[in-house]
Amino acid sequence: MTQLIWNGIFIGAFYALVALGYSMVYGIIKLLNFAHGDIYMLGAFGGFAMLTAFGGSVAGGSIVALLIVLVLSMLGTGMFGVVLERVAYRPVRTAPRLNALITAVGASFTIEYGTSLVAGPNPEVYPVQLSGSALHVLDAHINIQQIVLVGIAVALMIAMNLWVLRTRSGRAMRAISQDPKACLYMGVNVDGVISWAFFIGSALAGAAGVMAGAYFGTVNFLMGFIIGLKAFTAAVIGGIGNIPGAVLGGILLGLLESFGTAWLGGQWRDVFTFVVLILLLTVRPTGLLGERVTERV
Amino acid sequence: MNLGIKLGSAVAAVGLVVAALAGCASSSGSGGAGSSSSSGSSSGGGSGGASGGTITLGMVVPLTGSSAAIGPYMQNGAQLAVNEINAAGGVLGKQLKLDVQDGACDAKSAATAANKLVSDKVTVSVGGYCSGATLPTLPIFNGAGIPMIIPAANSDDLVNQKLPLVFLINGTGTQQAQAALKFMTKEGAKKVALMDDNTSYSTNITKNVAGLMAKAPDGPQQAIHESVTAGESDYSANVNAVMKANPDFVYWTGYYQEGGLIIKQLRQAGYTGKIMVADGSVDQKLIQIAGQNNAQGVFATMTQTPQTIPNGQAWIDKYKKAFHADPGPYSTQAYDAVRVAAEAMKNANSTDGKAIADALMKIDGFQLFSGPLKFTPEHTLSSGGFLILVVKGDAFDVQDQLQG
Repeated sequence: MTQLIWNGIFIGAFYALVALGYSMVYGIIKLLNFAHGDIYMLGAFGGFAMLTAFGGSVAGGSIVALLIVLVLSMLGTGMFGVVLERVAYRPVRTAPRLNALITAVGASFTIEYGTSLVAGPNPEVYPVQLSGSALHVLDAHINIQQIVLVGIAVALMIAMNLWVLRTRSGRAMRAISQDPKACLYMGVNVDGVISWAFFIGSALAGAAGVMAGAYFGTVNFLMGFIIGLKAFTAAVIGGIGNIPGAVLGGILLGLLESFGTAWLGGQWRDVFTFVVLILLLTVRPTGLLGERVTERV
Repeated sequence: MNLGIKLGSAVAAVGLVVAALAGCASSSGSGGAGSSSSSGSSSGGGSGGASGGTITLGMVVPLTGSSAAIGPYMQNGAQLAVNEINAAGGVLGKQLKLDVQDGACDAKSAATAANKLVSDKVTVSVGGYCSGATLPTLPIFNGAGIPMIIPAANSDDLVNQKLPLVFLINGTGTQQAQAALKFMTKEGAKKVALMDDNTSYSTNITKNVAGLMAKAPDGPQQAIHESVTAGESDYSANVNAVMKANPDFVYWTGYYQEGGLIIKQLRQAGYTGKIMVADGSVDQKLIQIAGQNNAQGVFATMTQTPQTIPNGQAWIDKYKKAFHADPGPYSTQAYDAVRVAAEAMKNANSTDGKAIADALMKIDGFQLFSGPLKFTPEHTLSSGGFLILVVKGDAFDVQDQLQG
C-alpha cells in the first residue's frame, strides 16, 4: 500500500511539473501547447549533451553537478520556450483557436524529428545516473534519489506559485488571464508577460526532463509524446488554467495509474485510469479546482 | 457554463489532433526514409521492378523510432547478399536492387512504406522486423501479388492468416516459447512472471509460454502475467505487481528499450531472481540502459547471430569490409531472405508472385545460417533454431545451444 502510494506520487510529480506549463499557457492565452511534452524531451537531451561534454568532471554523479546541469537545462529550455512562442504562436495569436492548435502540433513534430536528425533516432543512455541506497519505510522501497527528485519538484512548484502570487509580472499574468485587452489599455506589457509564462513553463518541463533522464537513465526523441498527453490529462483533471489544480491533477493521475496496475494488472491500467477520469469530469466538468478559483492563471 | 463548453470543445479538438497525428507520423516517417536509402551502395528508391534489367527487392525495416538500431543491420545484411548475387551474374540475367523504406516499428508508418514499395513495383519483399508493424503490410503485399519472405518478425499472427504469399524464415513465437520453457525447466524455475508490452510479437510469446506451462503442471508455473505500455520511463507500478507475486524467474518478451528499464527497476526494487528476455531485447543498448551491473547474468532466447554461429567469423569479416561496421541481430536473416528470394526466382524462372511462392515451397535443403531450409505447410521453418544467450560484461554470450 505504502509502495503504491509512493510510486504514484513519484511519477505524479513528473506529470505535475509538465502539467504546470500546459495549464499556465492555457490559462493566459487559451492555447493548448502540444509541443510542451517535447520541451521536456529537449530538457532531457540538453542535460544529456552537457553531461556527455563534461563527462569527466562530473563522473562522480554528485547531486551538485546534476543540479548545475539542471539549472542550465532549465535556462536553455526556458529560452527555447520563449523563442517558440515568438516564432510559432505569436503570429497566430489573433487567428481562430484551431489555427494555433495545429501550429502547436506542427511545432511538436518539428521539435521531435528535428531532435531525431540532430541527435539520432536511437535511444541514448545518460552518462551520469543517480544511484543510491533504498530506504524501507513501512515495507515500501524508497530510493534516496527519488526523495531528492520529489523534493526538487516540490521546491520548483512552490517557487513558481510564489512567483505568480507575489511578483509584479505574476500579477500581470493573472490580470492578462482575465482580460488581455484591458491589460493592454492599462499599459501592461502583454507580450512580455506571455514570454515570461512560456519561459517558466518550459523551464519546469526541462527540469522534469533532466530529472527523468538522470533517474531512468535513458532518453529518446519521442519520450515527450506520452508524458505530454498525460500532463495534458493532469491539467484537465485539475481544472485547466489552475496552477494548484495542475499539481493536484498530476499527483492524482500518478496514484490512479499506480493503483490501477496493482488492482487490475498493467493491461487495464489506462482503462481504469481514464474511466475514473471521465466519471470525475462528468461530476465536475471544470476539473477538481476549476470552479472554486474564479481567477485562472 | 461557458467554461464547460470551452473545455468540451478543447477536448474534442484534442481528439482531432490525435487523429491528425497518426497521418502526419506515417507520412513524415516514410519521407525521411526515401532519402536515407542506403549507405554507399547501389540501392535506392524509384522505379524499376522486373523491367529494365533490374529486379527490385523491397524492404520495410525500422530506420527511426524505438527499434531504429536494428534497421541498418538488416539493410546491410540484405545489401551484402544483393552485392554477392549481382557479382555472380544476378538473377535471370538481371541485376538485383534493394529498395528500403522506413517502417519505424509502427503500424501506420509500415503500411505507408509498404504501399510505397508496391507503387515502386518490387518483385519480392524481404523486410519485416516488428511483428506489430509487419502485420498491416501483409494484405498490402499479398493483395499486390508480391511474395513476402519475412526475415525477423516472428509472431504466429503473421502466418495464422494463411496468406498464400507470406513466408517466415525466423523461428515463430511458438518455437521461441518452447525454447524458453525448455530453458526455464533446466534452470529449475518454479514461479515465472511473464511480462510483455501488449504488441503482437510480445504477447504471442507470453501467451504461448503460459499455454505450455498450463499443460505441464509439474514444470515451471505462471506466477503473474503483466503487460506494460511501451514508450514510458516509469515501470515501478508493474514491477511492484510482479514483486508481489514473488517469482523466481522473470521472462520479458518486449523490446530492448523498455526491457533495459524493467531490468533496472526490478533490481532496484530488490528482485534477486533470474531474468530472461526474448529476441527483441537482444541489443547492447539493453545492457547500457539496465546498467552493466544490473544486466549481468540476464538470459535471452535468441536465434543465431553472426557472433554465435560456428564459423561465422568469415561472414563477419565480409560484412565489415563492405560496410565498415559490425553486423548485428538479424543481419544474417536479412542476408538469407535475399538469397532465398533469389533462389526461388531462379527455380521458378519467373518474377511472377505465384510462381515464386510455389518455388519457395519446393525449396528443400537450401543452406541458411539457421540450418537447411524446408518450409512447413504453414510457411514457417521446420525448426526454430533458438538458443540461449547470457549477458557477460558488456555483451551477450552463448549460454546454451539447446541441442537435444
